[in-house]
Amino acid sequence: MIVFKTFLKVLNKCKMPIILYTIILLFFGVFNIKSSDNSTNFVGSKPNVLIVNNDCNEGITSNLIAYIEKNSHLKAIKEDAIDDALFYRDVNYIIYIPYNYRHDFLNNQNPTIEIKRTSDYLASLAELNLERYLKVAAFYKEISNDENKIINLINDTLENETEVTVISKVDIDSLTKVTSYYNFTNYCFLAGCIYIICLVIASFKNEKIVKRTIISSLDYKKHNRYLLFSNSLFAFCLWFMYVIISIILFKQTMFSLYGYLYMINSFVFTSCVLTLAFLIGNLSRNKNAINGIVNVIALGSSFLCGSFVPLDYLPSFVIKLAHFLPSFWYIKTNEFIKTIDTFNLEVVKILVFNLIMTLLFASLFVIITNIISKKRQTIG
Amino acid sequence: MFTHNLKYTLKILFKNKILIFWTFAFPIILGTLFNMAFADIEKNEQLNTLDIAIIKTNEFKDSLYETTFKNLSQGDKPMFNIKYTDEQTAIEWLQNKEISGYLIVEEDERIVINQNGIEATILKQVVDEIKQTKKMLQNVPNQSQAKDIYFKVMNNVESPSNIKNITRANLSYTMIEFYTLIAMTCLYGGILGMYVVNQNLANMSSNGKRVSITPIKKIKIILSSVLASYIAQLIGLVLLFLYTVCFLKIDYGDNWLLVFLLSLLGSLAGLTFGIAIAAIFRTNENNKTGIIIAFTMLCCFLSGMMGISMKYIVDKHTPIINKLNPANMITDGFYSLYYYDTLDRFYFNIISLAIFSLIMITISLLSLRRQKYDSI
Repeated sequence: MIVFKTFLKVLNKCKMPIILYTIILLFFGVFNIKSSDNSTNFVGSKPNVLIVNNDCNEGITSNLIAYIEKNSHLKAIKEDAIDDALFYRDVNYIIYIPYNYRHDFLNNQNPTIEIKRTSDYLASLAELNLERYLKVAAFYKEISNDENKIINLINDTLENETEVTVISKVDIDSLTKVTSYYNFTNYCFLAGCIYIICLVIASFKNEKIVKRTIISSLDYKKHNRYLLFSNSLFAFCLWFMYVIISIILFKQTMFSLYGYLYMINSFVFTSCVLTLAFLIGNLSRNKNAINGIVNVIALGSSFLCGSFVPLDYLPSFVIKLAHFLPSFWYIKTNEFIKTIDTFNLEVVKILVFNLIMTLLFASLFVIITNIISKKRQTIG
Repeated sequence: MFTHNLKYTLKILFKNKILIFWTFAFPIILGTLFNMAFADIEKNEQLNTLDIAIIKTNEFKDSLYETTFKNLSQGDKPMFNIKYTDEQTAIEWLQNKEISGYLIVEEDERIVINQNGIEATILKQVVDEIKQTKKMLQNVPNQSQAKDIYFKVMNNVESPSNIKNITRANLSYTMIEFYTLIAMTCLYGGILGMYVVNQNLANMSSNGKRVSITPIKKIKIILSSVLASYIAQLIGLVLLFLYTVCFLKIDYGDNWLLVFLLSLLGSLAGLTFGIAIAAIFRTNENNKTGIIIAFTMLCCFLSGMMGISMKYIVDKHTPIINKLNPANMITDGFYSLYYYDTLDRFYFNIISLAIFSLIMITISLLSLRRQKYDSI
């Protein structure tokens, strides 16, 4: 109880940096969420396309725009912001319809359409759509000169689409958003817990206090246990805040089995982060070094384990390296939850294995902390 | 006295491990992490070969589908890796995520996929195109000419004369991450500024008490200390530039004179920010460091460090935030040098940084001048 009371006093003393840090991290977490549509039916991926039409909006030109609009998310962006939009992938493909396009097309002058594009697959998809329209239009121009007839034939042809059946009943878009949110909390949990817990433990590591603790009747293991449980109060409050935010943001998903799995996984990870923070707090004797340690560990784990960059995009050697970090198992579990179709024994096995891996890291951190504490029982 | 204090402040700064970590080691560690994380990101965005299955049916055999898919699965970088099988096996493969989808050609065509996504869309696009080609050929009144017209049109549309790509060459958006890294290093220079000012404040350190009773003009002491921290910061920045250019192959554009100018002003903004924090807040050094780091991380987050699109989102929806954000002024300055041909945007950022530094200096001067203590 004495340890816990002291812990609360220290926490109260450090309330300003704690509040500041927590607010910033909560802001990071909430601000990072991206929006997308939800669906369990087939919805084709649509590129973001911008059309700069320098021709009249009539006839074949208007029909081309209508076709592109049907097969993409048409963007309206101010002229001076177009290049920025392309650089940041807000737009994947820009089509510049030249002046007199309609006239030149109908008079067999083979007009050129200028485009700007990114190098990703959505731009390839947009190009596929544009090329297809131009091919079909050019084909019908060969057999007719009547603009209305050409347009009708083009539309009649392009309406022919294939039936697509989706077998998975998982609402992948909603789950992707929740996964993205919980993946980002990796950084928030690490930065928040390590910073605050190290700050609090640093007060207990004051030389005079350490000497008093060593000569007291309290066993170092017991002392560590009390301190760890006291720190868990803060860690689980932080976890609870992020869970509440996720419930506010994704109410429907969070009250499903998927949501409970995300909560359990983040809870286990928070426990692991708590022990890691406790270990670092015991290792570091310098209060000034805390900020450096927090940033290296939190940012390092987040970049290497798929919190900021999706796991699929990381190079294979980075993924191999990430296996030695608890963040990897946390993020891997989040990604796995997203792909679960049916809950069977195989799924449970994978989930339990990942959670055990995280808990093994936690146990390892506790053991190392106790070894260090034992070694530091002798001073001078 | 000026050079004496300058020399000894430099010595003190280079002997402080924490300051050395933030100025020299941390940006290099972070740069290495960026490089590891982003090594494949743009490569993975491109379209890879898709694993699909096709159900063997009589309708598929010798059809336009067979010819087209055969062509699309050949070459150095084929669009599809096709397995021919029966429907039951295809479903199993689909459930085990071994394939993206499968195609059945019977009376009508049908695609079965596991979930939505770009791979399913590409497969659908190809099948649609074959279906639409069949329709086009059927619509030609004189069927004997249909194929001739088709091949004539195909050769023409696929030639570069119809679609002309005018995209700029520099489109690598991961560069933004490294620009935010430079911005972060510049702003972390504030820790140096804060430290040297603290060393001269009587209410902050014993050294400050001694300095305040010496018969030397305080401005001389402070200016030489600040100059020393500016030099230390620039040395850190030069090392980071050398590391990112030589080892990580980062492109800062061709105009190194402007890169140098931006770095000088960025560092000045960071330094003056640190001095202002040291002057305004009456708290210990640890808390001041915490404020500088928290502010820097927030600014870097908004300028794209933890997700490149964040900079664009803020620029687009609340531009005022990034117009006032010193990390974004630096990041945007490098971005405009890398991406744009004109320098208007670059000079806007240069002027913004100069104004920011001027405001910070004014705040610091107002706060630091004529300080007297009855007792400490």
